[in-house]
Amino acid sequence: MRVSTYIKKWFPVFALPTFLAFTLAFIVPFGMGIYLSFTSFRTVTDARWVGVSNYVTAFTENSDFLHALWFTVQFTVVSVVLVNVCAFALALLLTRAIKGTNIFRAIFFVPNLIGGIVLGYVWRLLINAILGKLFAQDITYSAAYGFWGLVVVVNWQMIGYMMIIYIAALQNVPGEVMEAADIDAAGFWAKLFHVTIPMVVSSITICTFLTLSNCLKLFDQNLALTNGAPQNETEGLALNIFRTFYNVRNHQGVGQAKAVVFFVFVAVIAYLQLRLTRSKEVEG
Amino acid sequence: MNTRQKTFNVIGFIALLLAAILWLVPLLLVVMNSFKGNLFISQSPFALPDSDSFMAADNYTSGVSRTGFFAAAGWSLFITTCSVALIVLLTSMAAWYIARVKAWYTSVLYYLFVFSMIVPFQMVMFTMSKVANTTHLDNPFGIIILYAGFGAGLSIFIFVGFIRSIPIDIEEAAMIDGANPWKVFFTVIFPILRPTAVTIAILNAMWIWNDYLLPVLVIGSEYKTIPIAVQQYMTGSYGQKDMGGFMAMLVLAIVPIVVFYLSGQKHIIKGVAAGAVKG
Amino acid sequence: MRNMTKLAGVAITAALALTAAGCGAGGSNSGDGAGSVYFLNFKPEVADVYSRIVEAYKAETGVEVRVVTAASGTYEQTLTSEVAKSNPPTIFQINGPVGYANWRDYTADLSGSDLYNHLTDKSLAVSTDDGVWGVPYVVEGYGIIYNDAIMKAYFALADKKVSISSTEQITSFDLLRQVVEDMTAHKADLGIQGVFSSTSLQPGEDWRWQTHLADVPFYYEFEDDDVDLTQGTPAEVRFSYGDQMGQLFDLYINNSTTDKGQLGSKTVDESMSEFATGQSAMVQNGNWGWAGVSGSAGNVVKAEDVHFLPLYIGAPGESAQGINIGTENYFAINSQVSEADQKASLDFLYWLFSSETGKAFVTNDLGFIAPFDTFAAGEGPSDPLAQEVIKWMGEDGVNSVPWSPFQVFPSQDWKNGFGADLLSYAQGKMDWDALEADVIATWKTQAAAAG
Repeated sequence: MRVSTYIKKWFPVFALPTFLAFTLAFIVPFGMGIYLSFTSFRTVTDARWVGVSNYVTAFTENSDFLHALWFTVQFTVVSVVLVNVCAFALALLLTRAIKGTNIFRAIFFVPNLIGGIVLGYVWRLLINAILGKLFAQDITYSAAYGFWGLVVVVNWQMIGYMMIIYIAALQNVPGEVMEAADIDAAGFWAKLFHVTIPMVVSSITICTFLTLSNCLKLFDQNLALTNGAPQNETEGLALNIFRTFYNVRNHQGVGQAKAVVFFVFVAVIAYLQLRLTRSKEVEG
Repeated sequence: MNTRQKTFNVIGFIALLLAAILWLVPLLLVVMNSFKGNLFISQSPFALPDSDSFMAADNYTSGVSRTGFFAAAGWSLFITTCSVALIVLLTSMAAWYIARVKAWYTSVLYYLFVFSMIVPFQMVMFTMSKVANTTHLDNPFGIIILYAGFGAGLSIFIFVGFIRSIPIDIEEAAMIDGANPWKVFFTVIFPILRPTAVTIAILNAMWIWNDYLLPVLVIGSEYKTIPIAVQQYMTGSYGQKDMGGFMAMLVLAIVPIVVFYLSGQKHIIKGVAAGAVKG
Repeated sequence: MRNMTKLAGVAITAALALTAAGCGAGGSNSGDGAGSVYFLNFKPEVADVYSRIVEAYKAETGVEVRVVTAASGTYEQTLTSEVAKSNPPTIFQINGPVGYANWRDYTADLSGSDLYNHLTDKSLAVSTDDGVWGVPYVVEGYGIIYNDAIMKAYFALADKKVSISSTEQITSFDLLRQVVEDMTAHKADLGIQGVFSSTSLQPGEDWRWQTHLADVPFYYEFEDDDVDLTQGTPAEVRFSYGDQMGQLFDLYINNSTTDKGQLGSKTVDESMSEFATGQSAMVQNGNWGWAGVSGSAGNVVKAEDVHFLPLYIGAPGESAQGINIGTENYFAINSQVSEADQKASLDFLYWLFSSETGKAFVTNDLGFIAPFDTFAAGEGPSDPLAQEVIKWMGEDGVNSVPWSPFQVFPSQDWKNGFGADLLSYAQGKMDWDALEADVIATWKTQAAAAG
């Protein structure tokens, strides 16, 4: 408590600058965005109030929005688990006395350093080449191909990112704790679950949250890899919103309403996830 | 180290080696194709360059001159460096305040920042570009402030998580010695946060370096960053893409960020080795 | 550590100072009575030509023109964001009646402008009873591009099954089919992988079929039904020439370089490079397609060998059908900027398409076939396919198919759905009747949504 009262009056120095930038870059645009979801508009300056009709349209017009929601949920569950398990395993390996850990770390991280359309293109070539050889088909042939293709690409991109955070956390685990466990000759799994994981649970919270929000927001890879094919079966939420915005006439307001629904949905899930892991942290 | 651990390490090494090779395949494809002519990239993307398809450095030289690559790299470097410096400094300070001050408004702030991470950019992009325009932040200097604001969520979230795991007695001891919060933060807290700060710098740097939509909507194409220049000059209005040029510019664009990452990685490890972090 | 902190401090102070400086510098290009011009360009491939054009314009008139180019596929986003700003574009581009419907609050009436007055064919403009909202600035054409070297090799074959002896003699779908199918039988002799380049059906790469090819059946339908396309999107269609479109589409995918199951992985670029490297003899595309492959290493097609065939689908009287000629590029003037800015913008455009300097840029550097009477008959671009378009426009007894049918297609979403159906059809997961039914049904709902 003493630290709390000691720095409390320093708000203008420590928190205000960030808060101001945040207000400009996020709070104001976000508030305007919510307002726009209740209007019909072409650009942000010519909005006309229409009440909740955009929201009604979003759900009733066709089933694509709900389908995209479901696709995103499935994709997110699979990817969050896979990314975190793989990233944590890599981090464990790469904090051991293995040759060349630095090079390995760099290699696994590199996919994150590259953005944009070209990687989507390269992955599409790779996946299509494999499917072509095996079945004389391509990624647009079946929704399952698209789904797992996306999982692979997203894992490839995100594992390195999460790995870095896990490594930073594992480095923070004091050597004495690990050595003590070694002396106890605790088995590998026992040590993992009773010593290592409780020590890094805050990074697990962070990584799960990051993968969760990134998977839910998935857009670039979706666009580059499948663009919804076949028949919009692999269309995620963000892509659906984007297409509503640009590809359907007079639907900017509907797109914005979908974005708000999307936000509320993500917020609820993310909040639940945070509550869940944060409570584990306190126990740890 | 006992023999069991040694065998484990050997198996681990082999597994890592295999994974690393798989990891690099797409990247090697990019590098390989960046030396091939466009028609050959579409025709046989997996073939090694041969005497017909090998373009030497043509894709690189023509790409560099067509996109004005070095000018674009200058803007990218400027925006990325300043934004990252600003983010790391401002958000570590704010995160400390949020993590340590127990008040209703700090939890509200914390959740606001966290929520900002889950808002898809598409939802705020037009309104943000309007706000930027109204407040005259729609230039390469103002965009730094927007990045600081938009990137604050992730950075605050990670910083707060780590600060909460630092025992509070270190700060209390320093305060009893009579240091003011400013001094406590910079002499005690920030050094402890260094590995985290480097992590955050890396994460933000690669986001900003590769970002396309935010700069293009906020500052337009007058001050082109690398992604804007590449998108603009390597595509045509009927969707034609100069893939050779694309790949060559991609290879060039990742060099600085790889260098930055490698130097950052060293700091993460050094910070730990120096014993700056106590569990 | 302390050094690092100091460094950060310096960097931030510098950044803030620069920001302040930047703010001071911003927003200065408004005010003077002459009017300012800001052109949001749609065609990235000619972005650097425009920068030379504005230099020349400044040298001649002293007027500063700002040109910003949106990257491919981002024009609507850029325009949406730019129009809301304090210095919005004064000249922008709409893609036809649908674009006009989207931007009608921002388009000024151009009926009295010099640019419109010099338009050769006034029906090409986007207009309603109340005014003229978009003036086309480039005419383009598409059809089946063929490589005459391969075609000549085919017609020289001793055992060819058709009676005609040159590609020019193909004037109907039936003749086209006989030639194509016989060529497929002689693939090995001709050294090709398939007669047609891959029918690129990857989502986002399918516009050659769901837009360009689909123009033809709807053209015949709207002609039959006397539909007035200036009234916008018809509420319903019959897709009465759907079967004919299907015939040509079948011909494409059955005589292709690529197996039907893998068309969903193909892009337009890949399709063009198959043509350029001599793996195919024909590809459906427009005159813009040549520039991308002509200079590339590996191109084996000679400029004098590329020609157009019309998209024959088997409609009655199609021997008089020409290639599809029109435009999707219309200049619009922002009605929400000051009178002076609007006038300055029109002056700039008129200069570009009427002065000697401007015209030289248009034909030689932009490579546009400009639809204005300020251009004399010989003043056209030298690109072989552009020459072909001009030739087809002037052909006697031939009616070009306009682009107006596809410009009233209900929405991009509808076109994407059509493309997805074509892909499912090629993959054997949907039959053509179901596809036709879906096209008709989605047209109705999307046209209603567009209101």
